[in-house]
Amino acid sequence: MRRALTYAVLTVSALITVVPLLYMVSLALQTEAETLSADPVLWPASPQFGNFAELFERAPFGDFIVNSLIVAGVITLSHLIFDPLVGYVFAKFRFPLRNTLFVLLLATLMVPFFVRMIPLYVMMAGLGWLDSYQALITPFLMDAFGIFLMRQFIQPIPDDLISAARIDGASEMAIYRKIILPQTRPALAVLGLFTFVFQWNEFLWPLIATTTPEMRTIPVGLTLFNQEYFTLWHLTAAGSVILFVPTAVLFLVSQRYFVKGITLTGLR
Amino acid sequence: MLSHRKPTLSGRYARTAYLFLAPAILFFGVFFFLPIGNVLSTSTRTGPQADRFTGLGNYARAAADPAVHHAFLVTLVFSLAVVAGSIVLGLALALALNQPLRGRVAFRVALLVPYLTSVAIVGLLWRNILDPQLGVLNRVLGELGLPPQEWLNTHPLATIVAVTLWQGVGYTMVLFLAGLQGIPEVYHEAARVDGASGWLRFWRITLPLLAPTTLFVSVMAVISGLQAFGQAYIITNGGPGDATDLFVFHIFQVAFDSRDFGYSSAQSVLLLLVIVAFTVVQLRAGRRGEIQY
Amino acid sequence: MSFTRRDTLRLAGAASIAPLLAACAGAPPPATESGTFTIYWNAGHDYKAYREVIAEFEKAHQVKVNLQKYQWPDLRTRLLADFSSGTVPDLVEEPGSWVQEFALSGNARSLQDFVDKDGQAMGFPADWLPATVERNSYKGEVYGVQLHLTCQLLFYNKKMFTGAGLEPPTTWAELLTVAKALTGDDVHGIALNQDYTYLWPWLLQAGVRAYDAETGKVMVPREAAAEALRFQAGLVHEHRVSPVPVSSTDYSGPQKLFAAGRAAMIITGPWDIAPIKQTSPDLELGIAPLPSHRERATQLAGTSVFVPLKARRPDLSWDFVKRITTARVEQAVTEEVGMTMPRTSWAKLPEVRQNAELKAFADAFPHAEDPGSDVRLTGHYGEYTDLLKTMYQNIVIRNRPAEQELQRFAEAAEKAIRG
Repeated sequence: MRRALTYAVLTVSALITVVPLLYMVSLALQTEAETLSADPVLWPASPQFGNFAELFERAPFGDFIVNSLIVAGVITLSHLIFDPLVGYVFAKFRFPLRNTLFVLLLATLMVPFFVRMIPLYVMMAGLGWLDSYQALITPFLMDAFGIFLMRQFIQPIPDDLISAARIDGASEMAIYRKIILPQTRPALAVLGLFTFVFQWNEFLWPLIATTTPEMRTIPVGLTLFNQEYFTLWHLTAAGSVILFVPTAVLFLVSQRYFVKGITLTGLR
Repeated sequence: MLSHRKPTLSGRYARTAYLFLAPAILFFGVFFFLPIGNVLSTSTRTGPQADRFTGLGNYARAAADPAVHHAFLVTLVFSLAVVAGSIVLGLALALALNQPLRGRVAFRVALLVPYLTSVAIVGLLWRNILDPQLGVLNRVLGELGLPPQEWLNTHPLATIVAVTLWQGVGYTMVLFLAGLQGIPEVYHEAARVDGASGWLRFWRITLPLLAPTTLFVSVMAVISGLQAFGQAYIITNGGPGDATDLFVFHIFQVAFDSRDFGYSSAQSVLLLLVIVAFTVVQLRAGRRGEIQY
Repeated sequence: MSFTRRDTLRLAGAASIAPLLAACAGAPPPATESGTFTIYWNAGHDYKAYREVIAEFEKAHQVKVNLQKYQWPDLRTRLLADFSSGTVPDLVEEPGSWVQEFALSGNARSLQDFVDKDGQAMGFPADWLPATVERNSYKGEVYGVQLHLTCQLLFYNKKMFTGAGLEPPTTWAELLTVAKALTGDDVHGIALNQDYTYLWPWLLQAGVRAYDAETGKVMVPREAAAEALRFQAGLVHEHRVSPVPVSSTDYSGPQKLFAAGRAAMIITGPWDIAPIKQTSPDLELGIAPLPSHRERATQLAGTSVFVPLKARRPDLSWDFVKRITTARVEQAVTEEVGMTMPRTSWAKLPEVRQNAELKAFADAFPHAEDPGSDVRLTGHYGEYTDLLKTMYQNIVIRNRPAEQELQRFAEAAEKAIRG
């Protein structure tokens, strides 16, 4: 009985989340006339798979994909290296100004990006980095979200493990790499996924920091399919479907780590 | 003073700590605190080029500006609804999916997919669905014999709250799932042996041990709720009237429509102070709730 | 390497001198590649005819043109960031309200010296509709050149009108009668737009001025403005001859309803002709002058091009302006996409006179006014229009009392303009 109820609730929830997205897939397969119609088309009369090809004909969409992969990939890698290290320090070390630094760190999350955007843009222009991967990547190498996340997940690791290793004479770096990191796999999977998704969908900064079509990322490239007074929905939706594929694949790969099951979580 | 003493054990670890922190301090200094410093200095200036000094003029102006008060109130309501909704729904779904259910991977995927796509695309999609005249929802409702909805006009704020939850609930669910993985099964077993009911185990064991995750989720939800922007920018354009004039959307308009960077910077600083206050309170409460084991 | 508390303090000190450092970082604007000529353009205006102009321009000056296409809001965000950093494009297309704003703020370059030199040869300002020159001028100097010219007219579904034995309305009273007669099961007589800019023609016909610089009052006379707003709210809420508009960043709702035969009339500009014909090739589109009230008027709109003050090669920029605004290019763009144009000689072209739709616009242009100029020259246009949007939607969508909303708008807008 209880199990049946759980299934019912989950099924309804899943339908609510998935069906609207299926409508996006439907839009991606409609003709332009169907998408512009005032009587919305639920599913196209004949699916237009050519819409995807049209994306590549009308814009350097291949470049957009490569750029998006490079930018989001490098940033995610950097987060996976730095965020757990800093999170570990805030979780397990006592040092002067710890709380102040932590609040300052969190404060960096509290300023809307576009407010920092113009000073950052001026800085990048001064460095001559506009329209380059450096400009797209460097401002996002770490963030407080990832550090805070890792701190929260490292905190429950017993202090005894660290003390014992110190007594055994392990170096601080070795403790971090051999004891802490292996225990944070679920959190790292979550961090990698969220960082990638966030960067992959980022719009404002790539819009501002790039000047040539060849340096654009997918979300910025998609705006090219908007006309002055209306949107080319079939192309925007087709691009959104493409945009969605890598994040979905990444999720399928990473979810194994954070939902592996209680029995496998290890040492305790 | 510290430097007069011989390095103690904790002193040595403090050095390690700062060594590990060095790249982060450099990074955040350059890419966050330099620009934030710039925002602070801009907030004391006025004019389209933000080149005339006005002291605290922009702050005084914000304090007396009914549009600012209104936007703040709208944002507060929006945030409270989103924070409460995402914690309750996210935790409930995570608990359901942490059981050995058939097809649970499929459910997890289904619930997280909206999060994997961008706020902009989600916004455009829902606008397309919800439009009373042109949207696909009213067409479906009509075919089912149900009356048409006009939620974007009748309940605009509730509608963008719902869309935000629709997109974000999978994300909180994943965080809670990851948190649940960190709770050693032995605690549950011990409680089961003692004959504790499911509810009791949830309140006494799961919830307290989830505290670090819950703290993280609620702090992040408050921060992102108070900074919500895309929903108003893409779906409602702040309207009808000023019904969904979220604070950050308002700041954006002041900056880029009115080109008053001084005034928008001052409002951002005020927002920063509000969020810091919220966060410090949450962290204090969280520290009491966190269990060390 | 190890950190002490003092080092940390030093770091904190560094953060506090941040603004200074940031100011230094902005000092040397890197030159854009010298062989590149950068243009910001609306993403919807990338026409073949313009591509040809660009190709000729590249050949003539041995430069590479980087045509960057944006939506208007994105273009503006980008441009404001550029103005802050000092790296600016060589030429910008703008949606109609930015030239005076940026002239006033010192970011646009006066083109008067060029006009004095070349104006006669290119027909500027002689061949341009006077209102298009006026809206691109500031303190007697020209800062921009009108590229496209549009205005709003009444689009109506001919079949619906002949079927009901009706003529297009010529006054507001007739409009209401006709709209009532045409409203049926799934058809509305008219569909109002959610966007506040569609309010201007009504205000102009009611004889309202957006701002009176002498008295510092907005929306004068106030009672006429209230009447125009009440009339529109009445169409939606009292007479229910228009669906309730929905607030968004999209203007295309009424056009879609019209194209689908679910609205008999809309008030819009030439930009909607192509989408209507594309989705409903069989629809018989009629275009008539707007029903008038106290005055016969419509809103003048359309894009212009201007040169940022810090553009490095203004003579090159000016040469591009000349090439892209010739009568020949105007004609080619009209042929290609049906865009309407600002030259008075364009309005006399046989291609225009023989095309019922283009002719309707060409004939309406002499009655078109730009209501925003007076507000723009105060330097508070952005605040004014944000407040206007709120007022318009509160009345037309949310059915709030027009007088009260107008009063609230006027107080806030007049305060903003006083600064």
